Amino acid sequence: MGAFEEFVGVNFFTMIFAWCNLLILYLFLKKILFKPLKNMIDSRQKEIDDMYSDAENAKDTANELKAEYESKMEKATEESEEILKKAVRKAQLKEEEILQEANQKAARTLERAAEQVEQEKKRAVNEIKNEVSEMAISIASAVIERDVSKDEHTALIDSFIEKIGD
Amino acid sequence: MDIAVTGPKIYFSFEIPYIGTVNITQTSVSLLAVTLILMIASWCLTRKLTKRPGRFQVVAEKLVTMLYGLVEDTMGKHNLKFAPYIGTLFLSSICGTLIGMTQIFRSTTSDLSVTAAWALVTTGMVWYHNIKNFGFLTWLKGFTEPIVVMTPMNIVSEIATPVSMAFRHFGNVAGGSVLTSLIYGALAGLTSLLFGWLPDAVAAVFPPIFQVGIPAFLSIYFDLFSGFVQALVFSLLTMVYVGAACPPPEEIAESKK
Repeated sequence: MGAFEEFVGVNFFTMIFAWCNLLILYLFLKKILFKPLKNMIDSRQKEIDDMYSDAENAKDTANELKAEYESKMEKATEESEEILKKAVRKAQLKEEEILQEANQKAARTLERAAEQVEQEKKRAVNEIKNEVSEMAISIASAVIERDVSKDEHTALIDSFIEKIGD
Repeated sequence: MDIAVTGPKIYFSFEIPYIGTVNITQTSVSLLAVTLILMIASWCLTRKLTKRPGRFQVVAEKLVTMLYGLVEDTMGKHNLKFAPYIGTLFLSSICGTLIGMTQIFRSTTSDLSVTAAWALVTTGMVWYHNIKNFGFLTWLKGFTEPIVVMTPMNIVSEIATPVSMAFRHFGNVAGGSVLTSLIYGALAGLTSLLFGWLPDAVAAVFPPIFQVGIPAFLSIYFDLFSGFVQALVFSLLTMVYVGAACPPPEEIAESKK
């Protein structure tokens, strides 16, 4: 068995040894263990905080944009409705105009047609009149074998035609 | 069976002229072992730190957060710079105590030299920061407060602080190990008492069965629990004393008016 220190005793050189160990361990652990871990924890915490604030900002921006778009959309809808209404009104006016014009045109055409018919009728009647009178003269001349003067007997013929005419 | 209550074994000693005999003891070896173990462990732990921590990093970060939280609660936010020292002290203490359980090394904290050295560091820090923060004269004047008659008492209490810290830690750990070995011996005695009637040839090979298991529970209390509590107490006392010497900057400015 070797020698032993006292059970309750202080050895100055052991104390120096303890101090040296504590100092070295302190410097080493501070640099290798505590600082890196603490930095890691802090940086992670900071990152999380940043993320949260970023998300909050993004949310605010998104809400703003949403409100903006919504108001824009509303305005656009109103505008389009107005344009549509205007167009419909314009179209209606145009329609009425066209209809009126067409009606007028048709009426005019009808009128003219009626006039023409009337004229034709008149002309035909006159023609027939002349033909009949000539025919009557020729028949009469043949009957009485004498020339019937057209001028002399025009009144007679006319009255005849009047009788058979209509 | 002999139960020897001795100090740390001296492995060898050498003479330094004019200074004295340096003994390389079990304590010196244990101190070195604790230092190396903690260095290697912490180096391995923090070698690859990641933002998304692994299992070990989570535990280490939790412990470091607890340490900084404890320091902040006890000493204040302005004294967070002491956290690495407190952590080192705590780790040295608890590992120094627990290394005794290996039976290869002797607990460093069951040597009064070690706890005394640590306690003197605490006292040195307290004095240094007192003088630095309040001035030498104010610090000296502090001994005469609240009344001059109290001066001897104050000086005694100033000296008693490191002494009590050192002896508390040393006593708990050393006492625990002595008690454990005493009970260990007693259990061996109980075995031979109960089975002593057996023929000598049988008794010689009969194992001391009571030594199995029972000392483990004592060890849980005296080594694990006591070691943890003493490390905590030592660190807490250091925090409290140094914290008192380092009040917030506003208070120092106030006291200098």
